[in-house]
Amino acid sequence: MSRILLVEDEEHLAAGIRFNLELDGYEVETIGDGLAALRRLAPETPEPTPPAPVDLVLLDVMLPGMDGFRIVERMRRAGNYAPVLMLTAKGRPEDLVEGLERGADDYLPKPFDLPVLLARVKGLIRRRDWTRGLGEGDAAASVRVGEAEIDFAGFELRRRGESFRLTLLEATLLRLLVQRRGEVVGKGEILEKVWNLNADTETRAVDNFVMRLRRYLEDDPARPRLLQTVRGVGYRLMQD
Amino acid sequence: MPEASQLSRSRRPKWHYVAVGVGLIVVAVVLTVAWQILAAPNSAHAGVTPARVVVYFFGSLLFLLLIAGLVLIVMLLLREVRLNERQSNFVSAVTHELKTPVASLKLYLDTLEYRELPADRRSEFYRTMRQDIDRLNATINSVLNAAMYTDRPVAEPRPLDLARLVRRAVDLTRTRFQLPPDAIRCQSPERLMLAGDAQALETAVLNLLDNAVKYSKDQVQVEVEVWADEDGQAHVRVADHGVGMARTQLPFIFTRFYRIGAEVRRSRTGTGLGLFIVRSIVKGHHGTITADSPGPERGAAFTVSLPGLIPAADGEPAGEAAHV
Repeated sequence: MSRILLVEDEEHLAAGIRFNLELDGYEVETIGDGLAALRRLAPETPEPTPPAPVDLVLLDVMLPGMDGFRIVERMRRAGNYAPVLMLTAKGRPEDLVEGLERGADDYLPKPFDLPVLLARVKGLIRRRDWTRGLGEGDAAASVRVGEAEIDFAGFELRRRGESFRLTLLEATLLRLLVQRRGEVVGKGEILEKVWNLNADTETRAVDNFVMRLRRYLEDDPARPRLLQTVRGVGYRLMQD
Repeated sequence: MPEASQLSRSRRPKWHYVAVGVGLIVVAVVLTVAWQILAAPNSAHAGVTPARVVVYFFGSLLFLLLIAGLVLIVMLLLREVRLNERQSNFVSAVTHELKTPVASLKLYLDTLEYRELPADRRSEFYRTMRQDIDRLNATINSVLNAAMYTDRPVAEPRPLDLARLVRRAVDLTRTRFQLPPDAIRCQSPERLMLAGDAQALETAVLNLLDNAVKYSKDQVQVEVEVWADEDGQAHVRVADHGVGMARTQLPFIFTRFYRIGAEVRRSRTGTGLGLFIVRSIVKGHHGTITADSPGPERGAAFTVSLPGLIPAADGEPAGEAAHV
């Protein structure tokens, strides 16, 4: 059973979401305060009996104590890479991009449709499993790209003795490019498959993530050899 | 991450201009001091000529004008920047106050539509939805009231019983927050007649009570007092034992959109309009409102003073206290 941490200070919303998630068979834990949520997701001192790890975080932005953007940033810095779905009344595109840039994996503006919320939750958990190589299909848990060894199950990338932690989005993007190695993958398709966004969303998120991946993979990120841009079309991960 | 930094830059660019302004003031002060030293007529290096004295005098005057002008501009800029921040906080707060109950209503409607629910669960959800509608309605009212009562004196003051009005507001607040009778204690004369706008004054008193309850700690304990003084003024005092505020925040709390703390870490519902509405209504009655708090966590008290008291007719026991 997947365990979901719901961080929401509005009691009605928290109760309603929890009710629905539990009906769908998830185990749900609710926290209504930003600082408490941070302590749960990125404890400063390791606790003697660590609480069960969460498989997904549903995170509100406006919270007492600490806002959702900072929570997601801090938990990533502390090495917690659980998928995060942000829920917020701030639904402008800038807010959406800010959330994703800070390390969230998906974003749902309030008010939302219940079926959409449940589908996104299911999708994120499935995507994490797929990225890890645990899901359906022929996905291997570990792959070599150039000199880098990518461990999708552990969200880790090792290259020349250095190791990098991958976020779910980075790993999913890399996974998609690895699966379609040698082919050009369009930016719209990447937005749909990795970010769950419309193909025509105006954002530089994909370019930024590709730049980050290049820093992990390439000798000279400014002149990429492995992860190439195909101008006006998309990106291609070259065969070795 | 270029996008994130661009966003934060576009959100508060004006503070940089304030910093530039303060820097310019510092430069002007330094120049003035240098001028005082270099051009002073009693400087040892030069003889004192009348022309020099005149130049020194006018130069000093111009420098002072320059500094005064700069200070004025920076102060205006600062006011603009503050208003701008408050406005964006307001938009943020209203967005949250409007969207949260809508999101909740939609969620419960969807749940009722998609799930098979037992009857008791359904009625629980209906109750939740009704509360969401009340909250939505309250937000809409406060935005409308803010628009209605701003800078507008009472058109037709009519006689009203302030004591009864306050007691009714107390009752309403108790019901609204489902409070025990002794959570809000009210001390008022039997009757206190005043010329004014009953609906507006009720809104004002309700807002004060609302705040007192909202900013209470775990246990609500509010004292309300109504009295008349010899100068023909009526007073209403609402005191709570809640979170209070720092002395430095007192001057700002009646400002439109002002809310204590950053909006993104909001801990209380609201739009930052409540006290602004109260002050507008009180001003419309040519009255005054004062706030006092001994400090954070030590409660706050608000006193409204209104002129226009109608002296009690002979034989009516105006001063007798009634407890509710």
